[in-house]
Amino acid sequence: MGSFYGLREDDVIAAHYRGPFIAYYMRGADLSRLVGQALGKATGYAQGRALGFTGPVERHILPWVAGDLGTSLGVAVGAALGLQYEGSERVAVVTFGDGTSNRGDFHEAVNLAAVWKLPVVFVCQHNQYSISLHASQVLAGGSVAARAAGYGIPGLAVDGNDVLAVQGAVGAAVGRARGGEGPSLIEALTYRLGGHWAADPGGYRREAELQEWRARDPIPRLEGALRAAGEVDQGAVERLWEGARAEVAAAVSAAQAAPEPDVAALGLDEALAR
Amino acid sequence: MSRLTYVEALVAGIRDEMRRDPDVFFMGQDVGPMGGAMGGAMGLYQEFGPRRVRDTPISESAMVGAAVGAALVGKRPIVEISFGEFLPTCMNQIVLQAANLHYMTAGVASVPLVLRTRIGDGPYRGHPQCYEAWFAHVPGLRVVMPSTPQDAKGMMVAAIRDPNPVLFFEHMFLYHAVRDDVPEGDYTTPLDRAFVRREGRDVTVAATGWMVHRALSVAEGLAGEGIEVEVVDLAALAPLDRATLTESVKKTARLVVAHEAWKVGGFGAEVASEVAETCFYDLDAPIVRVGAPQAPVPVSKPLRDLFLPNEGDVLAAVRRVLAA
Repeated sequence: MGSFYGLREDDVIAAHYRGPFIAYYMRGADLSRLVGQALGKATGYAQGRALGFTGPVERHILPWVAGDLGTSLGVAVGAALGLQYEGSERVAVVTFGDGTSNRGDFHEAVNLAAVWKLPVVFVCQHNQYSISLHASQVLAGGSVAARAAGYGIPGLAVDGNDVLAVQGAVGAAVGRARGGEGPSLIEALTYRLGGHWAADPGGYRREAELQEWRARDPIPRLEGALRAAGEVDQGAVERLWEGARAEVAAAVSAAQAAPEPDVAALGLDEALAR
Repeated sequence: MSRLTYVEALVAGIRDEMRRDPDVFFMGQDVGPMGGAMGGAMGLYQEFGPRRVRDTPISESAMVGAAVGAALVGKRPIVEISFGEFLPTCMNQIVLQAANLHYMTAGVASVPLVLRTRIGDGPYRGHPQCYEAWFAHVPGLRVVMPSTPQDAKGMMVAAIRDPNPVLFFEHMFLYHAVRDDVPEGDYTTPLDRAFVRREGRDVTVAATGWMVHRALSVAEGLAGEGIEVEVVDLAALAPLDRATLTESVKKTARLVVAHEAWKVGGFGAEVASEVAETCFYDLDAPIVRVGAPQAPVPVSKPLRDLFLPNEGDVLAAVRRVLAA
């Protein structure tokens, strides 16, 4: 959320498959259509043709259609190239995981963005696990942000469970990109509280670690920060929670009731554009 | 008309479109002041400068990704992968991103990009292997392989204007080997047609790239014996012009398929299958395929000459289907 808050509406976003709906929602996507997409319904933005991770493309969202990790970085760099090419002040923001930072695609994309000074911000959602493997087993050097130094661009590690810190870091990097100063890499350290997929019990994690990170849940922390700053009071927070729960419940009900895609959505003559 | 070689015609197509459409730009390794591998970008940097003719690092996956992303925000990029043998390094971007985007976004996104690359045996013998069949297998891509200077220009212009990712295979032997009249100005060749290069009633040879020229040469020779060979240049592998192919076979009742790529799993297998499925009862003889044997393409000239399919192989195949 911090990665995509405060952008211009026409800035290009490429959200990692873990948690993209919040980014799309902030862009004005219809929540029931997003849920419908996760369920493969006809109302989803992909009409059942793609994994549930894509969104409304016309809102300057780079669609998630690939079954791999890493190509989205190259595509985001390309969007930034297109924006720079037309002399726009728009920027691209792309998020990805710590596991993706071990793909060659990460290195190629960051290098290309750096040599061409493209207006793109790379944000790593470092949740410490590539499915079952802890970063300490697979991420040499231990830091994603440190990899920026090799490409001569700013690399900044932030507390990824502090929404305002993430937004501050990304906002500064966006300002830099918009000003023609080129790309930045931000590593937001967080934790995956659930399994990799719905049925993954996540038994490869230690209970103490899980407890420690549960205590750092970013949502109550943001709530506390806003209260401490006098932005909201207890009543306002409760009303926000109630409103959000009702909105999500309504979206889920609507999506569940939505039709399954039928032969009309199959579109076998639509592999190529006309 | 101007008399252009195959490579001059390719460059003319790119140049004309870059003059016409400011959204068209070109990127690749050494395409700037050096003028591209084998002169494939000659003069473009000098005319259009570093913003529109961009030298890239050796990062094929990021290059193709950059083309996909730029296309998604409305540009018309041409990305050059110096040689087809490097396509495996950017396979994900081609088959998972470029090919999927239009369909998987329910038709909202489109990816107007051209990926040009060089294949086949050539004067320098480097990077000869032909992987076009892999891409013809994947829906969402156009795959073309022009065999003449006219089509080199006409298909390049059409590819740049097309709303889809187009894989544009350029044969290295043809680069400087053929010179012909090429229309000046606005000239396009359809990206979904096969072309009958020579009409004949006795046997059809369906071929791609350099093998088209070898088939024409064989046809010329056999005409002296009263045998009339029809040569079909497949030109577009995906989507394939199945109608022109089957119409020819229905007329001649005999088919030879010839390409430089490996015979096993090669594109010729698709061509032969199509004909077997749709006009089996029109055939008077089993289909014969001509392609490379099932081993990596050797480098030294004598081995290469022993290895690659040549005119003699096409001739032998034609005689075999005529004798059946």
